[in-house]
Amino acid sequence: MVDQSILWSFTIVYMLVIVFLAYKGYKKTKCNADYLIAGRNIHPLILGLSYGATFISTSAIIGFGGVAAQLGMGIIWLTVLNVGVGVLLAFILFGKPTRRIGQALGALTFPDLLGKIYKSSFMQYSTAIMLLIGMPLYSSAVLIGGSRFIETTLGIPFEWAVLGLTGITAAYVVLGGLVAVMYTDALQGSIMIFGLSAIMILTLVALGGLGSFQDLTNIAHLVPSGLANAGMTGWTSFPELGSSLWYTMVTTIIMGVGIGVLAQPQLAVRFMTAKDGRSLNRAIPIGAVFITLSTGVAFTMGALTNLYFLEHNGALATQVVPGGNIDLIIPTFINAAMPDWLVVLFMLTLLAAAMSTMSSLFHVMGSAAGHDLWVHLRKSKIWPESMRGSDEDRSKLKVNKIGTAIMILVSLVLAFIMPGNIIARATAMFMGLCAAAFLPAYTMGVLSKRPSVQGARLSLVVGAISWFVWTAFVHVKESKELGLANLVTGDDAVLGFPWTVIDPLLIALPLSVIALLIGWWLETRRNTALVET
Amino acid sequence: MFGIDDPWIWTGYMFAIGLTVVAVIYGWWKWNEEVD
Repeated sequence: MVDQSILWSFTIVYMLVIVFLAYKGYKKTKCNADYLIAGRNIHPLILGLSYGATFISTSAIIGFGGVAAQLGMGIIWLTVLNVGVGVLLAFILFGKPTRRIGQALGALTFPDLLGKIYKSSFMQYSTAIMLLIGMPLYSSAVLIGGSRFIETTLGIPFEWAVLGLTGITAAYVVLGGLVAVMYTDALQGSIMIFGLSAIMILTLVALGGLGSFQDLTNIAHLVPSGLANAGMTGWTSFPELGSSLWYTMVTTIIMGVGIGVLAQPQLAVRFMTAKDGRSLNRAIPIGAVFITLSTGVAFTMGALTNLYFLEHNGALATQVVPGGNIDLIIPTFINAAMPDWLVVLFMLTLLAAAMSTMSSLFHVMGSAAGHDLWVHLRKSKIWPESMRGSDEDRSKLKVNKIGTAIMILVSLVLAFIMPGNIIARATAMFMGLCAAAFLPAYTMGVLSKRPSVQGARLSLVVGAISWFVWTAFVHVKESKELGLANLVTGDDAVLGFPWTVIDPLLIALPLSVIALLIGWWLETRRNTALVET
Repeated sequence: MFGIDDPWIWTGYMFAIGLTVVAVIYGWWKWNEEVD
């Protein structure tokens, strides 16, 4: 057990600095634009660190680190997509036009951006509603991940850890908005870089240096029979081509998360906080180094934990943790193998990772509830006069703060209901939904000079519905849990292998693109006919 | 390479590092570019 005095002193100092940064953010938040997009004037260093820290949550470190411990280093391809797609493509292709168009149209949130590009309330409302339904799944998964580690390290009961983590994050998000979120992100990102670098070095030292990769290759024969039958070939090799594990690794873990990140509202909104295109250019190297380092360390260390547990416990990582819960592998390894000061640093790293992602998700959900829905819906006469507020900036700011507080409560409740082994899967599910529903419309919106509103609407609806249908009826890991397929057909999934292991994103995204093209074509044809008549 | 025999794994590591280097060079190259 870690020395409690060291642990608590580090934690208290960290919290005090967070409070200080949150206060600075609060003081700088004078209007609605400050609250929602940090006044469009954020420093590139803060932007790069904030983007990275929001991108990388406890899901990436604990959840996907646990996946690496179970399935091996093939997950490194997720790092490739994270940097290539999530940073380079995202900043260069999407970031610059998003910033420019967002500023020109006065957009303050992701749904607001889509609504204003397409001059469509439907786009704004439906995007906001989908975020309010889907995002709590992800924010709760992040909350569970952070709380699990606090439970393991500080010995605080899970329920109290959830309440404490939510309470502290809620305070600075509700009061300080995106300025406070990004300032604290920058601190949290710096802690993550330092903590994960130290952990990678000490892991290699503990296992005998770079030679440990050879040792990991040599234990391939110890792959459990269930995983071997599913296609696993070892911890330093990719699963067998075409096997069920190969499909899961490639379609859900690598592509689902790797592509899904492009249409993440909490990341897209960061592009709108930049003062100019130059700020985005300067943030690219910071974001890229951050993401490669953090995911690369988590995935490599995850696979290597098997060597440590074999040597010290005589069993593989998945066999050491209670119930084979892969979300417990990384915390258990850190607690067992690392010196006290590093356990404390890792706890702060995870706290930082959880808080930076959670705060951004809370902020996006709150702004969707407040700015994108309630500010418009409250004008209806079905609400009492006292609830309608006014169009003054102060009134809108208040609405956003209340919306944020409500969505934080929803996430809190979900964290107590959702199953424990859900972190990586919930992350992949949310990213898949975002990509299927938003990516084609977002891409057309920022890249096309004449975006088609009919195409965007059709794409959003088809993407979301097809993603849900595939998730609920075909992709067996979710359809089995949800039970809808079983209710209708008596089977866990309505189709057979390999469809049952192909991620919903790979079906829903192409359908969403096709729907966009059909809608675009129909709109062009109608416009041409109108011109001719 | 370092005992990792499967080319899918070590090319993954090389791509990850290579793309990071590209990102750093891009940021440095466009450091003062004012056009969006």
